Amino acid sequence: MLKICGISKSFGNQEVLKSVNLEIPPGEIHGLVGENGAGKTTLLNILFGRDIIRHSGGYSGEIYFDEQKVQINTSRDAIELGIGMVHQEFALIPNMSISENIRIGREYVHQPSEKILGTALALIDKKQTREEARKILQKLGVNTDVNLKVLDLSVSLKQFIELAREISRENLKLLILDEPTAVLSREDAQAFIKIVKEIAEKGTAVIFISHRLEEVIAVCHRITVLRDGNIINTYQRDQFEINRIAESMIGHSLNRASRPRRVLEEKSIMAFRNFAVAMPGELIEDLNINLYQGEILGIAGLSGHGKLALGKGIMGIYPTAGHVSIGERILDTSNSADALSQGIYYVPDDRRETGLLMDHSIMENIIFTALQQKNRFLKPSLFSLMSRIDYPASTTYSINSIQTFDIRCQNIHQKVSTLSGGNQQKVCLARALAMEAQILIVSEPSRGVDIGAKARILEALSRINRELGTTIIMASSELDELKYLCDRIVVLYEGKNFGILSPNDDDLTFALAFSGKRKEELCVI
Amino acid sequence: MRNLTPHIPQLFMIVFLLIMAITAVAAGIPSMRLLNDSMIRLAMNGVLVISLIPMLNVGAGINYGLPVAISAGLLGMSIAVNFRIEGLIGFLAAVLFSILAGWVFGCAYAGILNRVKGREEIAGIFIGFSFVFLMSFFWAVAPFKNAAMLWPIGGKGMRPTIGLTAYFEKVLNHLWAVQIGELILPLGLLAFFGFLGWLVYALFKTKLGLAILAVGENELFARLAGININKTRAYAIILSTVLGAVGICVYAQSYGFIELYEAPLMMAFPAASAILLGGSMGRKTSVFHAILGTFLFQTIYVYTGPIANTILVPEVSEIIRVILSNGIILYALLYEGRGKTYETN
Repeated sequence: MLKICGISKSFGNQEVLKSVNLEIPPGEIHGLVGENGAGKTTLLNILFGRDIIRHSGGYSGEIYFDEQKVQINTSRDAIELGIGMVHQEFALIPNMSISENIRIGREYVHQPSEKILGTALALIDKKQTREEARKILQKLGVNTDVNLKVLDLSVSLKQFIELAREISRENLKLLILDEPTAVLSREDAQAFIKIVKEIAEKGTAVIFISHRLEEVIAVCHRITVLRDGNIINTYQRDQFEINRIAESMIGHSLNRASRPRRVLEEKSIMAFRNFAVAMPGELIEDLNINLYQGEILGIAGLSGHGKLALGKGIMGIYPTAGHVSIGERILDTSNSADALSQGIYYVPDDRRETGLLMDHSIMENIIFTALQQKNRFLKPSLFSLMSRIDYPASTTYSINSIQTFDIRCQNIHQKVSTLSGGNQQKVCLARALAMEAQILIVSEPSRGVDIGAKARILEALSRINRELGTTIIMASSELDELKYLCDRIVVLYEGKNFGILSPNDDDLTFALAFSGKRKEELCVI
Repeated sequence: MRNLTPHIPQLFMIVFLLIMAITAVAAGIPSMRLLNDSMIRLAMNGVLVISLIPMLNVGAGINYGLPVAISAGLLGMSIAVNFRIEGLIGFLAAVLFSILAGWVFGCAYAGILNRVKGREEIAGIFIGFSFVFLMSFFWAVAPFKNAAMLWPIGGKGMRPTIGLTAYFEKVLNHLWAVQIGELILPLGLLAFFGFLGWLVYALFKTKLGLAILAVGENELFARLAGININKTRAYAIILSTVLGAVGICVYAQSYGFIELYEAPLMMAFPAASAILLGGSMGRKTSVFHAILGTFLFQTIYVYTGPIANTILVPEVSEIIRVILSNGIILYALLYEGRGKTYETN
């Protein structure tokens, strides 16, 4: 049915897929698993002809569909071939009814009107469209009024409607399911999987992606593991074993250097009580932890499980519930100025979007926050708003920072947009240092950074922690760097604190924790 | 090689200007007089153009709501004329009243623009248009007492055009004017213009200026740095309005008349095309852009008049000017739109 030969894809200098081969016969449910950034989504985007692939320079390699070589340039091409996709983020039109969404673009029309007016202007046969939509949904075990608008529906119902839309297509040959069960309750997920199995029995090939490993094992005929853009292994049904698959997902890194453990006094400087952050796709719910003075606390978890939301919640980018307290004082999480005044500083994960002023110089980026919040680098003046920037002081400080952090640049007046990812990250850290923060929250400090720069960034974080006594919260998808730096690691699963692990725990424990399992539970299964 | 596409209007205009300069010499038009005119027009219109900078840099786009600022300036000048304050003092008093009026109008204007984030330009056009007519109503019933400002018959309501000859006509143009041969250097006017330019330049070297630039470039970044976005935007909008109000004072003293009622309607477009012509690409617009743009725009205007009148039919210069100013805005919009890619399937 589908055969992929030597597909490679790079975004800029970063190679995210390295000559991937994959073959899926009709009627097979093929599991695709891998950590975040392993290349799963990119592979799917190629198969479904998403614009992001074309805009970033296309892909190399060949795709065969039904024994024929095909070139998928747009989503329309993919649909015409018979590829259907159920999206992780809902691709439904909120203001249309269920039946309209299911039959969109393929509505039933009144025949005479089609003959006179052509396909585009033909009158829609609403009755039949509704009737067919109802039948399809009934097949899925959903009984609902198909005239309801999609925007009024629950999340799990929306997921079923997406599926209904795809399977109602007459020519469906390959169905791609990207994390379809992530938003479903356990019962709904089981119903969903049952339907997927039935579809496959009729000869449709299915690509199934999920972070819930036990689910993948239960439903798939074969499982392919992707890691860093390579296919690590493809497992047959009889080789399925959750530990083995988890291990090959994580891989074994070469850099296993461990640091001497230290014993820290458990003196809480920041406490989260029933803390919740409403970041879409990265919810945190009911978080209760204490942050100890001088420690590095790691936040781990797969994407979508909330690890990026912590810093954003504290800085007021997303609405929060519960509270965060510094000592006796409760933090106003609706206003980042309050967090900054309490000595909290946040280095965001999306440097280009929120971390830097890309059009400004290195110097302006380094001094910016300290200048605005602490009136550093300013000449004394009557009104602080109108006080002029103290250029000599800023220059000296920036040059020092460049040396401290080893920022590779021509001079401090270079625009940060021309720097590499690693150097941009160092500029962000230099800004944090200028703030003299007590608590530093860093999110994905080494994302999109090459190996050399990564080591220096981690080293810098370690130095900030040990020499300046700054307490650090570090969220990262790279388990290795968390284990290298952190004193304790909180694993978030579905937005909740799954447990606090020690950096000395083995990778398997972590891999299982990421999918919401404990080692002890495994024995029972 | 550098991408020259965004600079096509400037290059085109510079070439056009050179051709006209040569034609002017060939046609025997006194070039010194033209140079004088272009200098005066630069300073006269320049302040209005500079007034666009704070709003551009805070990310609120071109201030098409300039009539709001102009109305504030007209009000300020009317107050000064009402009290019959004459000469340079009269002008400075007019500026002072305009600043106060601009501050008040700016606060209201900022309040509205902060509610229509992302659509400030189109909102500005409509705010400007509706505000002008609101002010027309005010002019008709304003309780001013100086007979020179009122309708001669009936003595109620303001005249559409108020002559400034008795008050502060050309006080800046004549201040410290130095004559070198045929060339008259209006030093006072240029100094005033230069001072305002320096103020805006210096603003962006301050804490507030840096915050304005940051909000314009990346609102999320600014928010993370603890900056109050709406307040910073309001400061920039108020600044633009105050500068615009001062700008119309400079314009009016040089022009010799205060024009009320519908006159402010079309003032925004020449200023907008001047700053676009100067090479402004939205954020990070500098005073240099404003001065260069105004100089090119106004000099062309000064040159087209006599040349067109000599060689072609009269009135052609006005047509060319309108085509130029609107064409440049259109080009800038086209160029802005090109950067975006749309889903094609």
